[in-house]
Amino acid sequence: MTGPEFLQQLINGLTLGSLYALIAIGYTMVYGILRLINFAHGDVLMAGCYIAWYGVVMFHLPWWAALAGAMALAALLGVLIDQGAYRPLRQAPRISALITAIGISFLLENLGLVVFGGRPKAFVRPEVFNHIYQWGELRVLSLSVWVPVITAVILAGLVFVIYRTRTGMAMRAVSRDMSTVQLMGIDTNRVVALTFALGSALAAAGGVFWAMKYPQINPLMGVLPGLKAFVAAVLGGIGNVVGAMLGGMILGLAEILLVALLPEMAGYRDALAFVLLIAILLLRPTGIIGEELPE
Amino acid sequence: MRLRLPARLNPGHLAPAHQTRRRDSLLTAAAGLGVAGLLWLAQEFAGGYVVHMLCVAAIYATLAASYNLINGVTGQFSLEPNAFVACGAYVTALLTLSPLEKEASFILEPLIWPLSVISIPLLPALVIAGLVTAFMAFLMGFPVFRVRGDYLAIVTLGFGEVIRVVANNAQSITNGPLGLKGITQLTNLWWAWGLLAVTLFVLVRLVHSSYGLAMMAIREDETAAEAMGINAFWHKMLAFTLSAFFEGVAGGLLAHLITTISPTLFTFFLTFNLLIMIVVGGLGSTTGAVLGAMLFTFGGEWLRVVEEPMTILGLHIPGIPGMRMVIFSLILVTFMIFARQGLLGRNEFSWRWLAAVFKPRRRP
Amino acid sequence: MSRPLLQVRGLTVRFGGLVAVDRLDLELHAGRLAGLIGPNGAGKTTVFNLLTGRVRPSAGQVLLDGRTIAGNGARLRPDRINKLGLARTFQNIRLFNQLSVLDNVLVGFHGRLRAGFVSAVLRLPGYCREEERNRARAEDLLRLVELDHLSQEKAENLAYGQQRLLEIARALATDPRLLLLDEPAAGMNPQESAALARLVSRLRDQMGLTILLIEHDMRFVMNLCEELTVLDHGAVIARGAPHQVQNHPQVIEAYLGVDQAAGEAGHA
Repeated sequence: MTGPEFLQQLINGLTLGSLYALIAIGYTMVYGILRLINFAHGDVLMAGCYIAWYGVVMFHLPWWAALAGAMALAALLGVLIDQGAYRPLRQAPRISALITAIGISFLLENLGLVVFGGRPKAFVRPEVFNHIYQWGELRVLSLSVWVPVITAVILAGLVFVIYRTRTGMAMRAVSRDMSTVQLMGIDTNRVVALTFALGSALAAAGGVFWAMKYPQINPLMGVLPGLKAFVAAVLGGIGNVVGAMLGGMILGLAEILLVALLPEMAGYRDALAFVLLIAILLLRPTGIIGEELPE
Repeated sequence: MRLRLPARLNPGHLAPAHQTRRRDSLLTAAAGLGVAGLLWLAQEFAGGYVVHMLCVAAIYATLAASYNLINGVTGQFSLEPNAFVACGAYVTALLTLSPLEKEASFILEPLIWPLSVISIPLLPALVIAGLVTAFMAFLMGFPVFRVRGDYLAIVTLGFGEVIRVVANNAQSITNGPLGLKGITQLTNLWWAWGLLAVTLFVLVRLVHSSYGLAMMAIREDETAAEAMGINAFWHKMLAFTLSAFFEGVAGGLLAHLITTISPTLFTFFLTFNLLIMIVVGGLGSTTGAVLGAMLFTFGGEWLRVVEEPMTILGLHIPGIPGMRMVIFSLILVTFMIFARQGLLGRNEFSWRWLAAVFKPRRRP
Repeated sequence: MSRPLLQVRGLTVRFGGLVAVDRLDLELHAGRLAGLIGPNGAGKTTVFNLLTGRVRPSAGQVLLDGRTIAGNGARLRPDRINKLGLARTFQNIRLFNQLSVLDNVLVGFHGRLRAGFVSAVLRLPGYCREEERNRARAEDLLRLVELDHLSQEKAENLAYGQQRLLEIARALATDPRLLLLDEPAAGMNPQESAALARLVSRLRDQMGLTILLIEHDMRFVMNLCEELTVLDHGAVIARGAPHQVQNHPQVIEAYLGVDQAAGEAGHA
């Protein structure tokens, strides 16, 4: 492989990794606070994509307005799911909440099939993201350059919220010890709702860029990115936002490089995430920068 | 250590227990014969559709009861049965298909030797499929049972995905996305219900033995179970491989019922359906799992009306394909929120329970 | 019989920066009834967790009847250690809540079951004999702790004191040589704890068990145990017969200090 080709793959890997990172953050924040794998997260992403699609196709919104709308409505959907399905199970065994999450995930997928139909819809790539940048031999789609940049901006904002604001402090406190924090007069339900809102909005953003990258959407599109993003969250250390970004990047790069370096293994790309997951759980169950979880 | 007993063993206490056990065996045998009689009637007089659905119900019940052993009885929430069913289905089909069929199917890449020339009867093929699946579970168990709780769920789910990806890509064994066609329809009522009977015999006996007790102890409190001398790892492994064995065999029968298999049949969706069955029946109850499977199969058929166009009071409602799954998902979530213990809880159907129901109530 | 049944040498464990148990030495001869006492947070339960293989020591070793069961390269799982003859109860009761009282005790017999699972499924005569014998012995054990009238009750439905007794019966089912009791009298009323004291001496006197118990109730320990080891901040501060330990200045200080602090913080 030549230098420019390799660089090109590297950029592709960064793009994919950014998308995984955006999705993984919702997983990791919810897990950090509720110790729940929110299986429906990937399907919230799917819902976000359809919202953006309708925004563009039916209401002729510019892409950034459709994106903002998708993020806002996905945030609302995330909060509704939590309040309606997960909140009644806060005191129940964790497995019950997990089963419910799986149920909600299938509910959204099948509702998607009923409402939107099973046939994929084409997602029009906006003009800004649809031309080729060329530097010497290196040719890159503008989307692939912009996605990591936009992701970096969003994540910087998120890190600021989590580490520099009172809300973020409350989130971190709740993820440490929910019952103690409750005693200290913090409204934990508000914090949980906020977590779902933030995570879902980021997933919608990741989903919309995902849809622009492979320009089509379908009701089951959230399943695989969702699962892989969860793996990315575990990889980085579940409950840790910076870890989720790191895990997402590693997974994205690993997938792209697998395909680039070993083309005959390309078909196994979707299995790579799970092989990595098994390896990380065996070698370092707390993830790359995770902390020891109490029993 | 010899205990010095403060005891007068009460001999009158044991005799009735033996008597009821005998009564229960007789009742179970009679019920078995009754079911067999009904199946014979179905075979002789009911249409092909009813027979087909009865076969599906028995296979689902076998799968649900096996799945319940690891998820409900042992309390290790795992999400991989679709992988085991796939493994059993592929192994059985590859062993029973004739060399000619195989040559005709594998058009992109030829099937590897010696699978390409083998063709054996169904029974040994099923046994081998069960053993291969159990062995796969055994290998999986080593990494899988190093983690617990939701990590266990996601790792087993990952294994299921890996198996699906392998089935899609290992062209020279699985024929890739094209799958296997032309499998002879050998599964009939007797195969399907016979497998269910054998599975239930083994599982019920196991659950009611010291081994089943140890598995439940692990579910209740793994730390305490280990402190009481129970090797948690091996008992989880036992439950896992045993459930894999029966799921593999059931997969083989499924392949010989629907005659065409491909990787799309064995997605997480299959596991989700089994999960609904065991949750509705009551996680931890073997008879509950069977009940859940029956309700799922026949209820699902009945629910087909929602997907068909209909006219109510002159109002025409077009059919909504996919609506059934929406309803199933809602049922699962509703059960989790409002009736977490399912229909039977952790109780098992027993003749004693039935006798208690029919006994005339004492007036207050 | 000069070799102690239990030998603990220089046992140390650190959690992060905290030294929970600090160079603990302990010897216990067969047939003795000993107590491990100390203020809250002194590391007593951690010692039990070390002895039973739940926590791995950072240094030091534990020998049971001359065989290393923890430390010094030995990494025995809790179930292996139990099979070597060491059984325990838990401070925060850990019964199998959804199982019946009888089944809780039967679980204790499973570790020594000789019949394989095929034999169990087919109900071969070997398995049935064992099963019947275990059932009879489980009923004996329940009579011993006076819970036989509740044998079909779910464990979670028992009263607190009864649950502690059931834990003892379950531990006895594993046929131990050394029994570790973690605060067996906690939550019991005076009558119950007097009955418990009688039971514990009976286990030692009639069944020849060696017993090491953790207890907060000083009166309970003083009347029952023959030798005491006092732990504070993970280290031994005194040991000997109850009356010797009772008047040890460091012990008095440790307990009084804790009594004063107890008002400020419920945990340590």
